[in-house]
Amino acid sequence: VTVTSYVLPTSVAEAGGLLAAHGPDLLVLAGGTVAMPLVNEGTTRPTRVMGLRRAGLDGLEARDGGLRIGATTTLTALAAQDAVPLLATAARQTASWAVRNMATVGGNLFSTPRGGDVATALLALDAVIEATGPSGTRTIALDGFFTGLMTTALAPDELVTAIVVPAARGSTTFLKLGRRTANTPAVVTVAARLVMDGGPVSEARIALGAAGPHPVRVAAAETALLGRALEGPAIKAAAGAAEAGMEPRADAVASEWYRRRMVGLSVRRALGELAAGVPGRIA
Amino acid sequence: MASSVVAFELGEREVEVLVAPLTTLQAVLRTQLGQMSVKDGCRQGGCGSCTVLVDGEPVLSCLLPVEDVAGRRVTTLEALGYQCGYCTPGMEMLAAAFLEHHPEPGRDEIVDALSGNVCRCTGYEPIVDAIAAAAEAGR
Repeated sequence: VTVTSYVLPTSVAEAGGLLAAHGPDLLVLAGGTVAMPLVNEGTTRPTRVMGLRRAGLDGLEARDGGLRIGATTTLTALAAQDAVPLLATAARQTASWAVRNMATVGGNLFSTPRGGDVATALLALDAVIEATGPSGTRTIALDGFFTGLMTTALAPDELVTAIVVPAARGSTTFLKLGRRTANTPAVVTVAARLVMDGGPVSEARIALGAAGPHPVRVAAAETALLGRALEGPAIKAAAGAAEAGMEPRADAVASEWYRRRMVGLSVRRALGELAAGVPGRIA
Repeated sequence: MASSVVAFELGEREVEVLVAPLTTLQAVLRTQLGQMSVKDGCRQGGCGSCTVLVDGEPVLSCLLPVEDVAGRRVTTLEALGYQCGYCTPGMEMLAAAFLEHHPEPGRDEIVDALSGNVCRCTGYEPIVDAIAAAAEAGR
């Protein structure tokens, strides 16, 4: 064992101080469901570790018609809220009950591609990350937060304190394709939000998880829907654009070949559900 | 490395342990506190055999630093009276918490709740039957 210190700060200021002092050398644990398996396996050998369970960063707060989600809010708590049904669904379909009791919303932003279901749903909702660091607090649009495989725009001395979901218009749907129905990593995850108001699509968000190195919005698929009725041709165009634009990774869950085909299929199914009016409304 | 003393409630008693930083609750329960029902399975959060309750809710003790449960109430299968098998202790802790939340569960709900606990012997059906029977007996 190489760990020389494990600290549980009791405030954001204290956590920030530790990050400022030790930055890149400090392993940050929220729920521990991503990092602890690596520690247990010896893949990650940290010397200094900071746990966030007592930092006072958990909790849900209704704000301006939207929702402010404390970074260490558990997936169990997110699944239990009803202000944003899309997030409850995404959380409920992530991992197992005991994992959801530990895993956090902030932590999901740092998950492996096949585990980022909640992050994918947050992308469809235009979520904004609240981060604090030595020079104060800043906000980062989630759309620009992910920079590569397990890398983000967060500086080594910054801490995600909350995820803010603005009041969202339109209808949403969440579709996760896995190898089984419960407690499954994703082959592909689709979160979509469309504003139609009974006419053509006027606003579209299509976010994909497990379809690349990180959760991503598919601009080409969104554009393919704008100004068009949500019917066969538009849906087919959007699904085709999504399939063509992704560079999925192969892992133990699915091959690159299979994932690419399931991207198109899943987008088509998700949009078909929205066209049929099946999914939950968030307006 | 600076070891520290962590105090928490185990079943009905207060316990104190001396641990190296980031020691898991699983390791402490099994090696220091004789809770042999807490299995050392995958250590990845994937098999559920180390499931214990913290303040009544199921968690995976292999992923939880023991420092995080200071002052909290930890329940292992020893508190329910007996132990056996490899996957069963984790299954039973999960089931105990599940029946607290869902005293009249549907079969689908039982299957869903058990999805994080791996069994390589039974095919799950007898376990689901047993939880359904326990729910029935509890009514």
